[in-house]
Amino acid sequence: MNVVVCIKQVPDPNSVGQLDPSTHTLRREGVEVVLDPGDEYGIEAGLQLVETHGGEVTVVSMAPEKGLDAIRKALAMGAAKGVLITDPALAGADALTTAKVLAAAIKRQPFDLVITATESTDGYTGTVPQMLGALLGVPSVTFAKHLDGDGQKLTVQRQTESGYDVIAATLPAVLSVTAGVNEPRYPSLKGIMAAKSKPVDKLALGDLGLETPKPGQTITSVQPAEERKAGEIVEDDGEGAKRIVGFLEAQKVI
Amino acid sequence: MDFDFSEEQYLLRDTVRDLLRRECTPKHIRALYDDPGGRSPERWRKLAELGVVGLTVPEEYGGSGMNEVDLVLLLEEAGRSLLPEPLLEHTAVAAPLLAHAGSEAQRREWLPRLSSGEATASIGLASSPFVADATADLVVLERDGELHALTQDRLTLTPLRSWDGTRRLFEVTAAETGDDTRLAGGREPAHWAFDHAAAATATVLVGVAAALLDQTVAYVQQREQFGRRIGAFQAVQHKLAETLLLVESARSAVYYAAYALANELPDAPIAVSVAKAYASDAERRANYEALQLHGGIGFTWEHDLHLWLKRGKALEIAYGDADWHRRRIADWVYATAN
Repeated sequence: MNVVVCIKQVPDPNSVGQLDPSTHTLRREGVEVVLDPGDEYGIEAGLQLVETHGGEVTVVSMAPEKGLDAIRKALAMGAAKGVLITDPALAGADALTTAKVLAAAIKRQPFDLVITATESTDGYTGTVPQMLGALLGVPSVTFAKHLDGDGQKLTVQRQTESGYDVIAATLPAVLSVTAGVNEPRYPSLKGIMAAKSKPVDKLALGDLGLETPKPGQTITSVQPAEERKAGEIVEDDGEGAKRIVGFLEAQKVI
Repeated sequence: MDFDFSEEQYLLRDTVRDLLRRECTPKHIRALYDDPGGRSPERWRKLAELGVVGLTVPEEYGGSGMNEVDLVLLLEEAGRSLLPEPLLEHTAVAAPLLAHAGSEAQRREWLPRLSSGEATASIGLASSPFVADATADLVVLERDGELHALTQDRLTLTPLRSWDGTRRLFEVTAAETGDDTRLAGGREPAHWAFDHAAAATATVLVGVAAALLDQTVAYVQQREQFGRRIGAFQAVQHKLAETLLLVESARSAVYYAAYALANELPDAPIAVSVAKAYASDAERRANYEALQLHGGIGFTWEHDLHLWLKRGKALEIAYGDADWHRRRIADWVYATAN
């Protein structure tokens, strides 16, 4: 089966993100960038599927030239080839533009399954997977915490607030996976050396037959997050445990 | 000429950093302080699967056949995260030493297992009164200037106390050595082993020093005194800037030492001594300033800082302290001038 995994390079989540004061977008130059840790689960899920059912994993990323490092890491983990869409016109692209570009790149080859993370660890819009499903005209199955697939269909446990739904879909489909779905492998030295000779297609907007996007969405201002309010203090008069349980139930924690 | 590391070397560094950031945290280290073995076989297995443990073993024996330069960034990460497992003794010294001077029988018997992580090896040189990780399956021990590869049935170990709770030190005596245990090449392998151990220790020290500096920079940006963050005081900034200068200089010196060893340059022993002298001094300064700037909290058991302070202090003096290595350089200068 042909599995496409969409990946993104993001500023290292272990460091504090900085905003560009003029565009209000995240600074990506001059900061440490890494493969989005959330994407490692998608890559691992794809690799496990092709290891069981045959086929190969292709990783697709829309990024500046430096995004090649994230693709190399995915190739070192075991993906067979990469596609990097890089174009100055795409700087600061919003979620819909991103989805259109990724969909155009994915359509260039036959695919059975497109895997993404549930959201990126920098923008956090969480909308690209569903947009991809619509743009590609295939079902989108989201928040998978467990999956079984066999090249024809896919059965997933979809994480919900109170438990999980079991969802079946026929392929091709778009699937977003959560961090609980597997334990991503580390790229081995062998994988790293092999990645050197794996093909990476570099595409610009023109290669995809797309025109320079008009921004559908711009960030007009940014406000600091509100300070956390003081919590509620419960004096234990014998009813303390009950009130805590009540609180946790209201938050759907238990 | 491009002296930068390759994309692959950086990717392997990042992979190891990632693994250690998740699986070699202060919490993991503290747990091993109280563990009788003091090592995590699970973490060692994962490093072996990555190809890190067998990095320096020739490919014909199942390793990756890479050299000191490929290893140098990983040793730095080992220092940064205080990796307790013997990447230094095993991967930087004992395994490539067997490939360098072991008999064909010794290589065939040991290298594939040392590469896969199934067996471990350590090194005991006459210049040190103790052997780190002497419980390894194979200990290469110096006797009368020559090296012998010895299995545990030929060794008697007496545990010693180390101030670093994750460094396991032993006094080791060998019951019998013979032609079958001897490494070829007379006294040369002992010098080879010492230079590799000193260079690797210097590299680990750079990682320890960098981690001490990073933590201290983060702390002074957070700790407030006299109504402001203490990092705003120029006197504090100077201490950190001077430490950074030493750490960066030491880093360049250990990279060159790795390059000189990998290419068997005639000045390799001097490059090693420059590296170890610089790294020991840089780490000692980072150690001192970290403790000073953390104030009382840095001295406590509860704060993690002491884990780095202790490892740093232990390695400052391992395989020759800064003075010893400066004397070695001086002897060399004197000998060449005459």
